[in-house]
Amino acid sequence: MKKINIKILSAIVLLTLGFSCSDDFVDVKSQAENSEDYFNTEEDYQNALIGAYDLLQSSYINVMLGEIASDNTLAGGESATDVIGIQEVDDMTHTPVNVQLRDIWGWMFSGVNRANYILEFKDNIDFEGKEEILAQARFLRAYYYFELVKWFGDVPLVVDQRILFGDQFNVDRTPKAQVYAQIESDLIYAADNLPYTQAESGRVTKGAAQALLGKAYLYQDKFDEAATVLDNLILNGPYDLVTDYDTMFEMEGENNIESVFEVQYSELEGAGFGCLQCSEGNVAVGFSGIRNYSATPGSEGDIFSSGFSFNVPVQELADAFEEGDLRKDVAVLDIDAWAAQTGITFGTGNEHTGFFNRKYIPRKRSDAAQGDRNLTNPNNYRSIRFADVLLMAAEAFNRSATPNDAKAQGYLNRVRQRAFGDMMHNITATGATLTENIFQERRVELAGEGHRFFDLVRTGKAAQEIDGFVAGKHEVFPIPVIEIQLTGNRWSQNPGY
Amino acid sequence: MFLVAVIFLIQQFFWSIFMKSIIKNNFMLRKITLLLFAFSTLCATAQKMDVKGIVKDAASGEILPGVSVVIKGSNTGTETDFDGLYSLKNVTKGATLVFRYLGYKTNEVVVNSTTINVALKASAESLDEIVVIGYGTQRKKEVTGAVSVVSSESIEQLKPTRIEQALQGQVAGVNVTASSGSPGAASNIRIRGISTNGDNRPLILVDGNVIEDLSVVNPSDIESINVLKDATAGIYGVRGANGVILITTKTGKKETDYKSTLNYYVGFQQTTKEISLLNATEYALLANEAFAANGESLPFPNVNGLGQGTNWQKAVFDSAPIYSLDYTLNKGTKKSTYSLGVSVLDQDGIVGGDKANFNRRNVKFNYNRDLTDKLKLTTSTIYTNTNKKNLIENALGSVLFNALNMPATTPVYDANGDFSLPPAIGTGIEVANPLAQVDNSYNRTWVNKISGSYGLNYQFLDGFSAEARYQYNHAKVNVKSFSPIAYFGNGSVFNTDVPSVNEYSQTYKDYTFDAFVSYENTFDEDHNVKVLLGTSVFRSQGFNDTNFTQNGVLGTDLNSVSITPGAQDNLALSNNPRQFFDSRLLSYFSRLQYNYKGKYLMSAVIRRDGSSNFGPKNKFGFFPTASVGWVVSDEAFLEDSEVINNLKLRASYGIIGNDRIESFGFVSLLTGQGTYVFNNQLNYGTALGAISNPEIKWEKQIPLDLGLDISLFNNKVDITADYFKKTTEDLLLKPQVSGILGVSAPGASAPIVNAGSVVNEGFEFSIGYNHTVSEDFKFSANYNFTKLDNNVTFVGNATGVIEGGSFGVGQQAPSRMEAGFPIGYFYGYETNGIFQTQADVDAHATQTNAAPGDLRFVDTNGDGTITNEDRTYIGDPIADITMGMNFSFNYKAFDFNAYAFASLGNEIVRSYERNLPLTNRLSYVLDRWTGPGTSNTSPRVTTGATGNTLFSDFYVEDGSFLRLQNIQLGYTFDADQLEKLQFDTVRFYVSASNLFTLTKYKGYDPTTSNGSPIGGGIDQGFYPNPKTFLFGVNLNF
Repeated sequence: MKKINIKILSAIVLLTLGFSCSDDFVDVKSQAENSEDYFNTEEDYQNALIGAYDLLQSSYINVMLGEIASDNTLAGGESATDVIGIQEVDDMTHTPVNVQLRDIWGWMFSGVNRANYILEFKDNIDFEGKEEILAQARFLRAYYYFELVKWFGDVPLVVDQRILFGDQFNVDRTPKAQVYAQIESDLIYAADNLPYTQAESGRVTKGAAQALLGKAYLYQDKFDEAATVLDNLILNGPYDLVTDYDTMFEMEGENNIESVFEVQYSELEGAGFGCLQCSEGNVAVGFSGIRNYSATPGSEGDIFSSGFSFNVPVQELADAFEEGDLRKDVAVLDIDAWAAQTGITFGTGNEHTGFFNRKYIPRKRSDAAQGDRNLTNPNNYRSIRFADVLLMAAEAFNRSATPNDAKAQGYLNRVRQRAFGDMMHNITATGATLTENIFQERRVELAGEGHRFFDLVRTGKAAQEIDGFVAGKHEVFPIPVIEIQLTGNRWSQNPGY
Repeated sequence: MFLVAVIFLIQQFFWSIFMKSIIKNNFMLRKITLLLFAFSTLCATAQKMDVKGIVKDAASGEILPGVSVVIKGSNTGTETDFDGLYSLKNVTKGATLVFRYLGYKTNEVVVNSTTINVALKASAESLDEIVVIGYGTQRKKEVTGAVSVVSSESIEQLKPTRIEQALQGQVAGVNVTASSGSPGAASNIRIRGISTNGDNRPLILVDGNVIEDLSVVNPSDIESINVLKDATAGIYGVRGANGVILITTKTGKKETDYKSTLNYYVGFQQTTKEISLLNATEYALLANEAFAANGESLPFPNVNGLGQGTNWQKAVFDSAPIYSLDYTLNKGTKKSTYSLGVSVLDQDGIVGGDKANFNRRNVKFNYNRDLTDKLKLTTSTIYTNTNKKNLIENALGSVLFNALNMPATTPVYDANGDFSLPPAIGTGIEVANPLAQVDNSYNRTWVNKISGSYGLNYQFLDGFSAEARYQYNHAKVNVKSFSPIAYFGNGSVFNTDVPSVNEYSQTYKDYTFDAFVSYENTFDEDHNVKVLLGTSVFRSQGFNDTNFTQNGVLGTDLNSVSITPGAQDNLALSNNPRQFFDSRLLSYFSRLQYNYKGKYLMSAVIRRDGSSNFGPKNKFGFFPTASVGWVVSDEAFLEDSEVINNLKLRASYGIIGNDRIESFGFVSLLTGQGTYVFNNQLNYGTALGAISNPEIKWEKQIPLDLGLDISLFNNKVDITADYFKKTTEDLLLKPQVSGILGVSAPGASAPIVNAGSVVNEGFEFSIGYNHTVSEDFKFSANYNFTKLDNNVTFVGNATGVIEGGSFGVGQQAPSRMEAGFPIGYFYGYETNGIFQTQADVDAHATQTNAAPGDLRFVDTNGDGTITNEDRTYIGDPIADITMGMNFSFNYKAFDFNAYAFASLGNEIVRSYERNLPLTNRLSYVLDRWTGPGTSNTSPRVTTGATGNTLFSDFYVEDGSFLRLQNIQLGYTFDADQLEKLQFDTVRFYVSASNLFTLTKYKGYDPTTSNGSPIGGGIDQGFYPNPKTFLFGVNLNF
């Protein structure tokens, strides 16, 4: 009897301690892919590349604030306290505590990190066409870094590796020149390894890389390098101006022959305020829309839909267009005239000017549009248009140490001929007058497209044109103070903040 | 699995026939009962009688069923049946019978006749009461930790629709807040404060089975609730830091005939309150004043005839029905016990009516059997089906939020009888007609869940016992929602142009396998030793089954719309991993309990846990805890005290853990969102998800408890007092991290780091007084008190601050976790009256937009300018003191019970005012500033830019309250009347819950909170807990 009991006892003790499992029971493998074990197929690279493209969509805030910060538009919105961060940038009262500036910082670095993730594992496997993937990744990294230096000046430069948790305490702000050098190198590689045309619209092309490279040179006043690469693009690229400027910003004008690089948006996925950067739509469009816009269905006015009345153009911008400039009515919507013409109704918000940024306000939506419709407008952002390339080239040739004003005039007048529909408005000036003509042309041709503030800064005109702009301070925006704290309080703030 | 199948069949059977017929036809019941038990009446044979008798209560003379009768020195014994009768055969003359019954003094009688009737005396403080302490039980007298027990009697008195409500105010140190008053809404249980910024939910085990969602358990099935509040919880190691709640369900008693209990109640619910708002005339005048103040034209040039306008709250609130029916059938044979319970609860909402309906149907079956004298089987199976419909709650744009903000000048319906719209401008895009919202709300969440607990216990050698238990939960959650085409006004966020249907389902399953051996013996008469050694394996998984959305579906209600098969991709399976979590624990534990003469007590526990939530570096941890006790009253100098019947001093200390975080925080996964558009098509790529931190480990809590239990004056007065200090270190935070890590990318999030500590220190006191004045009159009163001090001592991110919560629209986070303050304290501007004149404004620090009539913010840093930096502590949502009070008496056939609880020193943020030019306002604005000297508390109204809407102490209110939670009056028919009816007892009662609340708080309900450690206590229009009136009946037969 006792024997049996001892057997049972040992059996139970064994059951207790031995039954369950060994310690590897708690080694659970995630169902989701581990980032360290990725990049085993071409598809993995392609998928990660889509992730790196994704953050282009979040640059809507850069575009909108680039306009609001300038002398083109006011913040607007519902009230004077509606999105304080935007109001402050408009008034040049922004401080190192600003939600939207922090968004730009975080979102652009997110893009950098995703591009770097691909490049960190660039040697994992080899396959045909890998260079093209890497070239797109390097373009994207350059695009995000270009935005960062435009906004913040010196920023931490990390290349071909993710910034992992803990690394943030070791990276320093890299001098702007060094960041630009990396941008140039990335774009040269991209231009060398990409074709002018891609099978899918929205992909980075050789032309996009050349245009952005030219722009980066221009921002550094490297006019000869800019002239060379932009001229090469104009002469060899497949781009041209569309005849009708009016159609350029409608849905049918997306990814057309004038589009050198275009950020793609879609209304097919829903979005919410909780994660604006997650939206597949162009959030800036809904923000810039006419407040409480209402039109009788099927009427002439039934081509727009509602928004939040931010980013409203000022009279000065409307007045900047010359008599007969066909671009004026495309760029600036005079809402009172439009209401009188079509019978639509609308509401007025903060700083109501009577004008809206017509290129990028919500159009009438399709049935497929997902909610929140204020956040899912599908309007692509024409990041680099051929007209911009022509004007940049004109500027580069004109401002070069060895100017070529004839060439500059030629490119400038190509843009003006379309704008006026004739040759009567061609510019014949040279030298400094021509430079001013080109600057003026950039303002009206690219009105509402987010370039104005940075054009004013890089040409030294910001202080004279923008109310509240303090030279030596407002050329760059402050590093969000929280970002300085979160990296160990080692970075110096930009001057004046 | 056989049992599971049987339960399913029973369920089908019951809903169709049983529940309806039992009320009508008692005969039918008996018949079906017999049918149901036909399969298990194997051992119910009569006993030969040598010794027999009846056992009664010495005081009342009531018969006592289920009394254990054992021949001393043997395993032979029985229990009294339902009539209090017992019988034992072949009892040797001169042997001693031991009569034991819970809550009564044990009686021993020497056998010298064939009939032995016994009267047992109640032991007023039931020190023999059995307390569940995890992997075993203990006599209350020997307990060395802070363990509180809620009995089934308390639960019966409270009539809770959810078990959490039975803990509210009943147990010192346990604070329960409803996350909403809507039917079926969960409650937040916090044991001894908020000890983590993360998941503060205690571990809840029902018959040893992990039950995260208590809505699946019918409160009537509960036998007892045991709360482990201190280091005693250490037996659950890495899951014990938030305390442990052990719930046991009712089982039958051996040797009893069929015994049925039927409880039914029906009643209605009402809102407790309407917030005082402006009527149409007042509203229009105020709007005019606000517009005029900003130089705008008047929105209401003519206010004549506006009158009272619409009372939106009246339109939204409605009386709502509730009913509950449960039936329990118990039976015991010599070797087996059975208990079958079925219940149904149906409750409509006071907002939304049946659009907020909650329905629970539940079957519970317990079956225990002694397979041999030494081998015992215990089983418990619960099947639950819940159906819940939801409205948008406690958020910007929720139904009640809109009832408070819709202009009183807008009628509910327009001239065509359609829901009217808010004004085209001036009310924002979130304020909509709340009734239209309710009308357009179509959704249903239904959960089918089976939970089981099966155990085998084997007793062997001398004092050894081995137990193996398998527990599981299997839940299928189905959600269907329909958004019809709807227009709520210009630009409204709720407008739906494309109707859509979404259906998804998920499966959750977990199992726990416990195996343990215990050994109990007494050496040299005085040394009592109990040793436990065991292992536990836990695995919990979640699966996405389906997730379909289809656009363009037209319909009139939820049933009229459906997904066309194949019409849409199965989003769940294409975008997400099918299995979305798999958490595991592997544990070994041991407990040594020793006492000397039952006087000097000690208990030591060590547990080793491996958790899948941590990386290779920190997977395993050891959690040691210990407690000691001294029964002072057993010492010679107190043994004969007339006053002190029992006095015990206790102390406990140790280390326990918390591993409740998202899985895989230690590894970088591709769970981010990477979506982009090529060729106008969405392309789904991959992207990095949450930032990983390979170094994370469990939160470590060091609980200290010093307590005493004392019983006085013939056990009429019971007092328990505890001092506790819980220090939680290595808190798992998701701190703000640098943006350069890519943390704000779509689908990315901050890493989890161990970087904080918080201390909860407090004092608990409870006192109970029970007095039996005469056979006809008994009464008892109980009071408990908890003082809690919560203090964050360290937040280890770069800013030293973690923010949370939201206030208003687009404002900075109002709640913070920061060293030196309570967790989740409110951080905003401190006000110091109102600027009366421009001179006041000029004399004050520079304050943007300030004008006479505006709130004056305190320049806390004294730099002459009001900036963000001037924000400071302006309150916290943690109560300093909570109390519960209970009073009951029985007089003849009447019983009465009243129960109240109170909370002092907690603040609530009023965030349900939209504060737009044309939204309605609370009536306090009638006392606003209109000129110098008119008000120093309520600012002027204007549509211009002011700082008055910024988060300041103007929006922080004292949330202290005293609530009469329940009063109940019952009448029990006496036995004579019953004999004709063939019932044992029949009791009718009326009860009123939540009858009144004394509070200064302006909002609906100071007792609700979303439960967030950082961001709790912010009221965006809480769905109030209803006032409920019930009429009920309890039948025993």
